Amino acid sequence: MNKVIDFFLSLKLTVVLLALGMVLVFAGTLAQVDRDIWTVMEQYFRCYIAYIDLYIFFPRNWNIPHDLRIPFPGGFLIGCLLSLNLIAVHSSTFKVLARGRRLTAGLLALILGVIVVAGVMFGWGTAPVAITEDDAFWRVFFRLGRGTLAAGVLFFACHLLYRQRAGMVMLHGGILFLLIGEFVTAHFAVESSMTLEEGETVSYVDRTREFELAFTETTDPARQVVTAIPHRMLKNGDVLHPAGQPFDIKVHRYMLNSNSPVPLDNVPAANRDRYPAYEGYGSRLYIAAKRSVSGTMGERNAPAVDVELIDRESGASLGRYILTTWFYPNFVKRAWDMPTHIGVGGRSYEVYFRPKREYLKSPSGSAYAITLLDFRHERYEGTQMPRDFSSEIRLVNQGDEVDRELRIWMNNPLRYARRTFYQSGYLPDDSGTVLQVVRNDVWMIPYLSCMIVFVGMTAQFILTFRHYLRRDN
Amino acid sequence: MLRTIIRLLTLFFAAFIFLIGIAPPKQAPDTFQTQAFARLPLKYEGRRKPVDTFARNLLTVLSGRQSIRTDDGRSLSAVEWLLDGISGKHEALDYKVFRIENLDVLSSLGLEERKRFRYSYMELAPRMEELDQLARTAFAKENRARDLYDRQIIRLSNKVFLFESTLASFEDPSVIPLEQRLATAQRYMQLERNSIPLAVAPHTGQERWRPLMSSLLSGPMTSADPLAMKYAAFLQAYRVGDVDGFNRSLMEYGSQLNEENPAAFHKIGFELFFNRLDAFVRAKWMYLLVFLLSCFGWLLRKDGLLDVAGILMAASFIPHTFGIVARCFLSGYPPITNLYSSAIFIGWAAVACGIILEIGFRDRTRGVGNLIGSIAGFLTLLIAQYLAGDGDTMEQMRAVLDTRFWLATHVITVAMGYVATFVVGGMGLFYILAGLFTRRLDAATEDDMYRMMYGTTCFALLFSFVGTVLGGLWADDSWGRFWGWDPKENGALLIVMWNAILLHARYGRMIRHRGFAVMAVFGNIVTAWSWFGVNQLSVGLHSYGFTDSAGFWLMVFVLSQLVVCGLGFIPSPYWKSGAGVE
Repeated sequence: MNKVIDFFLSLKLTVVLLALGMVLVFAGTLAQVDRDIWTVMEQYFRCYIAYIDLYIFFPRNWNIPHDLRIPFPGGFLIGCLLSLNLIAVHSSTFKVLARGRRLTAGLLALILGVIVVAGVMFGWGTAPVAITEDDAFWRVFFRLGRGTLAAGVLFFACHLLYRQRAGMVMLHGGILFLLIGEFVTAHFAVESSMTLEEGETVSYVDRTREFELAFTETTDPARQVVTAIPHRMLKNGDVLHPAGQPFDIKVHRYMLNSNSPVPLDNVPAANRDRYPAYEGYGSRLYIAAKRSVSGTMGERNAPAVDVELIDRESGASLGRYILTTWFYPNFVKRAWDMPTHIGVGGRSYEVYFRPKREYLKSPSGSAYAITLLDFRHERYEGTQMPRDFSSEIRLVNQGDEVDRELRIWMNNPLRYARRTFYQSGYLPDDSGTVLQVVRNDVWMIPYLSCMIVFVGMTAQFILTFRHYLRRDN
Repeated sequence: MLRTIIRLLTLFFAAFIFLIGIAPPKQAPDTFQTQAFARLPLKYEGRRKPVDTFARNLLTVLSGRQSIRTDDGRSLSAVEWLLDGISGKHEALDYKVFRIENLDVLSSLGLEERKRFRYSYMELAPRMEELDQLARTAFAKENRARDLYDRQIIRLSNKVFLFESTLASFEDPSVIPLEQRLATAQRYMQLERNSIPLAVAPHTGQERWRPLMSSLLSGPMTSADPLAMKYAAFLQAYRVGDVDGFNRSLMEYGSQLNEENPAAFHKIGFELFFNRLDAFVRAKWMYLLVFLLSCFGWLLRKDGLLDVAGILMAASFIPHTFGIVARCFLSGYPPITNLYSSAIFIGWAAVACGIILEIGFRDRTRGVGNLIGSIAGFLTLLIAQYLAGDGDTMEQMRAVLDTRFWLATHVITVAMGYVATFVVGGMGLFYILAGLFTRRLDAATEDDMYRMMYGTTCFALLFSFVGTVLGGLWADDSWGRFWGWDPKENGALLIVMWNAILLHARYGRMIRHRGFAVMAVFGNIVTAWSWFGVNQLSVGLHSYGFTDSAGFWLMVFVLSQLVVCGLGFIPSPYWKSGAGVE
């Protein structure tokens, strides 16, 4: 037991973990040359055991086999061990030095500090609809100011409790807070996007990382029922039995990425011969699995699924379909809209394989919608270089009595109902906008921990510096 | 007394170096007033600038220099070269301005290798079709599949296009027969979709900046802009050698524009002064001098030399600072907006850091601060000069990066983190080399250097941590992802982690003086990777500024640092400075 404790008490462990972390970060950076950021994140950082591809360290034309992988402590494991190490070292080296009244005062200040931190984190006293009205500068400045306020109170508490060691305790506390915040973000933050044409009103967002196979029953135009099957359930070879529907779904193949549809006639004969006989768009267009995209910006994977519908009663095949996100209008910036129409036993369906759809609701439970009034795209004179994008929108939530006209532009998002709406892209010919919509309840933690660490580190270094000056004299 | 005289002489010397040639050259009234032409405003790549800046940048992009030497031995300034070109003089096409260094490119264009590697437009003209074909092939390839040759071909073809479109945007369409005007108008519209110099400033009756050729175009529906016709008139006069006509039309154009739109001349004169001062290039050579003086002064324990070095250092630091402030004033952006400005700023901060260390440790370890600061200043300014070859260094910023608050906080703090890490690395390097090859590293010096390294590492950690987190906050503010594992973010994170390792290894008594120095040198590699290496990956938001030879030099740098790290492991008995402390 003592050995275990000694192991966690050692600064050597800190150094080793940090060094392992550096190797991991370096590998995760190199891996991005070939893989997209989300794959890299899951393979290297957001996992307990990472498998580092060997080939990433060498020029690609050396042809190192892609299946050579080294197991390595992953981001979560290193983060957890570092946290344990940090807590262990601190609890054994930095003892509370205050006694009596000073201790009481210190603890009270600490409680106050925690309250302030919580207040800042959950945005107490900020407007429910937060948007930059004038100068972007002040918005960030105030946010950092709130962080500094919390850091100030905490420093006061640490100074009462730990005296000389206050800075050291605080800066490590801040790091721990940051690590926890990132851990929570990794598990709970959700990114989505919202596509709007000018004049259009939209009440849902498209999740960036999750997809669904959505059957919308259109038999009765007045009452549309949606059956959505999450992409995680679409496993190769499985047969799914959606409740209340007259058909089963056999999944032939789930594709992580697929090519943009090309006419079947333009495809080499060899590929055409192997191509399954699809109904719907697949009978005319060629869509097949494609290597996952690389890099951190721009391209996205376009997953697709190859399914066969089976009549539940008779067991007869109702046709095989290829469904790709390329058919979904928001995925192609409204360039086209290609729903697959299916009729089963007198019922008709419109089918998409699309990003998971989520309808917007405020915390009080009432639905809201956004209308794009105007989109503007400015360029520098005499160039094609974008200078600014901005979306004039109208936010309407009847349940909460919100009806406001707002402007979202680069670096100046709208924060409303625990979601943040960022200007992110635009539709061809500037006919509409694409907003990035993020829900992350702990987004203030980095602001707080930044200031906490800054205050702690500065205090510590000033102390060291004074110590040196004294020794010099 | 002697000391004071030497100090004064040093100051005079520094002043002389920085002040020579900053007054505008005098031009006799009976010659072409090219200086007045250099002052005209022009808009290019979204920024209003004097013709002088445009000419200098264009010539730098094409040939890597700011002046040219003609075959008959005349030396032409960038503005004179530009004027020869845009006025339509035939000899302008014979000036050797296209720099082509790649031998494969030369041989595929059938050109002979020659000293200085510069070729004229007329030499390239017969090969244009081949070049076009090669460039198309290279363009068709995916970015990653292109090799050095492909990239050089694309680069050359871009240079040719830049030169041609610049000349075309100053041409005078009045000589074109009427029936071809429609085709010409279409050609001009096509040209205007690219980035071309907009020479005619907004004035009465015209609200936008327009290129000269379109302003001069007249057809059934439009007539030529009268102000632009004055521009055309002085270019025409220049072409035929009519000094009076040139000077008169130029003055008329200038004064009319000044009357109708005085704002077009705002900051123009200052920018000319800034161009002539060329503060960074001059400071660069001064820092090299300071470095040499400090080296000898420190090794030979000559305080006089160190004194002179200190004065020169301070005297060069002032114009360096002025240059950075002037760039902020001219561009309206905070100091760092691209790789070039990051190099200038990092150099500046390294010099400042050196001066502070010099003052802080002046009693016992004189000269070391200046030594580290000056070599860092010299190298970074050298890198900056190399990076300036891509065009205007005060470019406008893309929408997502254009947030002055973040540019001013995140970018500067991160750069300070780089600087501090480099300074520590420089000291480590110096510690190892001095200890191994000289007897100068005695126990007291060793201890002081260790303390300098330690103290600076603390600052490095503070700045790199805060800077990195601020970068994350910028990302959170722009698209809601505090930490996205973008390569550049990762690079910054590596610096933070390395500095943390350094401090923890010290607190845990795992390393002492020598170990700290060796690790500090490794820090140089981490920082260089973050600053330049990440851009070589060409993924991510920060991948601006890709350069081929940068990759090569980065490898050279990394290897050299590894060698020094290795030297640090040589056992003490082989160190000339002896066993030392360890």
